[in-house]
Formats: sequence, structure tokens, C-alpha cells
Amino acid sequence: MKVAIIGVGQTSYGNKKHQSIDELVFEATKKALDDSGLEREEIESVVTAGSDALDGRGISNMVIAGGSGAYLKDEVKVADGGIYGLILGYLRVASGVFDNSLIVSWTKSSEVSTDLVSNLSFEPLYLRSCGLNSITSLALQTSTYIGRADVKDEDAAKVVLKNRENGLKNPLSHPLQKPSIKEINSSRFVSYPLRESYLPPESDGACALVIASKKRAKSLKKNCAWILGLGWVIDEYYAGDLIVETRHGVSLPLLKRSSEMAYKMAGVENPISEIDVAEVSDVTPYHEMMIYEALGFCRDREGKVLIRDGTTKMGGGLPVNPSGGILSSNPIFTSSLVRVAEGALQVMRKAGKRQVKNAKVALAQGFTGMSTQGSCVVILGS
Amino acid sequence: MKDDLIFIAQRWDIEFKHAAGETASTFFKAIMQRREILGRLCPKCKRVLLPPRSFCERCFVETSEWVKVGGEGKIQSFTIVYEKFEGLPPPPYAIAYVLLDGASTAMVNFVKGLDLNNLDQAIKKIKIGAKVKVAFKRKREGRITDFWYELV
Ligand SMILES: [Zn+2]
Repeated sequence: MKVAIIGVGQTSYGNKKHQSIDELVFEATKKALDDSGLEREEIESVVTAGSDALDGRGISNMVIAGGSGAYLKDEVKVADGGIYGLILGYLRVASGVFDNSLIVSWTKSSEVSTDLVSNLSFEPLYLRSCGLNSITSLALQTSTYIGRADVKDEDAAKVVLKNRENGLKNPLSHPLQKPSIKEINSSRFVSYPLRESYLPPESDGACALVIASKKRAKSLKKNCAWILGLGWVIDEYYAGDLIVETRHGVSLPLLKRSSEMAYKMAGVENPISEIDVAEVSDVTPYHEMMIYEALGFCRDREGKVLIRDGTTKMGGGLPVNPSGGILSSNPIFTSSLVRVAEGALQVMRKAGKRQVKNAKVALAQGFTGMSTQGSCVVILGS
Repeated sequence: MKDDLIFIAQRWDIEFKHAAGETASTFFKAIMQRREILGRLCPKCKRVLLPPRSFCERCFVETSEWVKVGGEGKIQSFTIVYEKFEGLPPPPYAIAYVLLDGASTAMVNFVKGLDLNNLDQAIKKIKIGAKVKVAFKRKREGRITDFWYELV
């Protein structure tokens, strides 16, 4: 059964100290409902996606149930990144059991040391005491990539600049200044080879989507984002299991696999020419280039070419991250759902100043796990 | 209410006693008592898994025997950390995934014995493919931090 995104709601991203966590969720949920044209009473199922450890609240979906519109409804939570909420919501509607679903994810980075939470997220016997957190894990992955793909500092800086420039056109973006290439490339190393300027900000924010069956979506007579394809797959837990193979193959083999699953379902044969816009998880500029390769936008080790020739800039053949991406706004657990929301806005032609002209097919990509062990791809169509 | 908002400071301070189980206990005891790094062999794909596990997730069978791996190996990925992160050691320090001789999977740990204050000098030595050896703490406690890597 076909399923469409019929409503998108986002808070702005940044430090949201004027709102408690459930107020943040309420704001995004209300906006998504208003955008969909559905009343809360009409919502049949709710999927929430949050991290108890980041929230500092156990079973935190109980706290936010009210704000997510779930009172007296079938609510279920995923403890993975927000994009998994979309997948579960999709499956529930596609099954025919529910006519529609509301999906919401939230993160309040400003309330906690996210570095400590990411360190504590590691398995305690073999990994947690070895200097690992989210940033050092991404740095380890990046060192392998730089070694095999001959990517330069300048290439990374260009990714940062592209996404931050795009972010300046996004009224929801975390408030940031536009850096110069020189500033980016002279920024100190936090965890070599990652510079401070290569890392996303830490943002608060919430994002909600309303999705509905074909029948319901058609009856609304408005622009929808049709979910044409989905793919998701989980990697081996221990990053060292795959590392030996990734030194000699594509950098993100599991993302490649999930994209193939999504392309097959959506009937996409030549991604670079069939996809009009992509929102991907640029957790570092190097990861954006690895993602191009895994998604088949270019050949292995040629992600840098798409940055050098401007293909993925606004106005290029395949703009990537017109919203500014994660490098502009990073509500950590929610960032992957934001990719879907932004992809949906593009094909609904509601992306305002960040709209890609004639965007008919959008790709959204999300990660979960410290070393990108979980990879999801969603293809959306107008 | 613009600037006089109230924040409620809280901590999660919970003690856990994580069971290492028989497989990890054997691995840690070999490090502690004999300065040996032991991997587990998967009877199906023949990979020697490090860190050792009682089952192979690819083949979904129980691993069958202990294999002593070599005390040397090659760096597969690395980072040098210059930031003080909450929960992590004072910087600078280096960590690397190392494929030890005889193992099929790389295992992460600290790389010590290298001056990291000058990055340009450090990355001439610590790099992908560089040879390292395992070094052990004198007083070992049955923890992963009982050993580290050193460049050879
Ligand atoms: Zn096996």
C-alpha cells in the first residue's frame, strides 16, 4: 500500500532553554498536525523516537506522550535515531492496520554532556575504556577513508562551506556564522583528522511528520511526499570487524546495501540522474563524501569529485543538504528524521529559500550508532 | 521570563556490575596471568574474532576454540585526541584499531610511547599500515586497559 507524508513540523534548532522537553515535542507535533490538516482526534497511531540517556529520563516517551498527541492512542517508541520512527510508522500504515501515523523525535543536547553519554553508550568490556565516543569513533572511520580515497583538507572544507552556506538560508537552522575556507582549514584538531570546524554544532530541537494511507492522502487534495522506497540494515557491532574489508572496498558497505534496497523498491536505476535532491547525514564532511559513494552518486573514492565540480551545491546537478545538513543543525537523535522532513518539504515544494527547483524525487539518509552501524535510506516523490 | 530561567541539576549515578561471561573472562585472565591475547575461531568462516566472542554473528554458530594471536600487528585506523572530553582521559592520546597477526578482525586500544604534542611529527609515525606491538601493564587487573599498542 502506498503511504505519503502529509504534514511536516519542526521547531527551530539551537539552544531551546525556554522550553522543557515535552514543550519542544508539543511545538513540533502541533506544527505537523496543522500542516497535515488532520485533527489530533483523527490520528490513529503515534511513533516516538528518543534517547533515554540523552533525555535523563527513563521510559522518556511517557514524559512526552502528552506533547506528542498520544493521549488515548496507540503509541510506541523506538530507541534508535528518528528515521527509524518513520520506518516503523510507515510499516504500520502500509500494513493497512492504521490509516495514518504521527512520528516525532526530539533531542535536548543542551541539558547534558553528549560526549559522556556517547562514551557510556559503548559496550563496557572491550570498548568503553578505550577512549571512544561519537567524535573519536568518527575520526577513526575518517582516517581509514582519507588513507584510501586521497581526500584533501580542502575537500572537507568545501563540504563544510557548502552546507553552512545552505544553512544560512534555512530559517530553522542553528544560529551560526559563515566561516571562510581559511578559518575552516586552520581550525584546531579535536580528534585528528577531525578539526573543530568539521564537527556539527550540538542543537536542541524536535521534528514531527504525519503520514497517511493513499486513500487519505488523496482525499486531502494537497501536495504530499510519497514514500517510494525504503532500505535499512544493521552492521556488525564491533567496528573492527569490518574495518579490514572497508580498507579495500566501499567505505560504508552497509549504507550501500540499504540504498540498493530502497532503489529497488522505488525503481531507481541511475541515482545521480533520477534523484533531484538529497538530505544526508553529514556527521563530518568526510562522511558526506563517503555517503555519495555508498549511495552510488559516484564511483568509490570519487566523492571528492562531486564536491570539487560543484555537483552537490545548490544549482548543481544533485544538490545535497540544501537545509544545511547536520553540519548546520544537529539535534543528535533527531537529525536523521530531519533529513526525511527536509526531503519531504522539497518534493512538496514547501522548502522556501532552500527549495531546489523542480524537485520531484528526494533521497533522505540517516545513521544510527557511534560508527554509523545502522544505515537508512528513504526515497520520496512528489 | 527571558533570562531568569530555572535549571534543575541532576545526576544519574548508578553502579552496574556487568557480567563478562565465560568467554571474556577467559580472555581477560589470559592477559592478566600470561600476557597472551586470545581470539575465538569461527568453525564456519574460519575467522579469528577479536575481541573474542562465544558466537559468530555472520555465521550464527558458536565459536569453537581459542587461538593465541601474535603480539604484533598493523594499524587499520587511528585518531589522536586533543580535546578534553568528559568521561575520557586527559589529552593528548592516540587510539587505533589494530589487526594483530593471526586475527581476522581489528581491536581498538590506546597507542602509547609516542610524543603527540607535535602533530606533524606524530603522524609521520602513527599511520595506516604502521607496525605496532602489544605492551602489557606490570600490574594487570583483568581489564582491556591492561594492554596497549606501541609503534615498532
Ligand atoms: Zn563465522
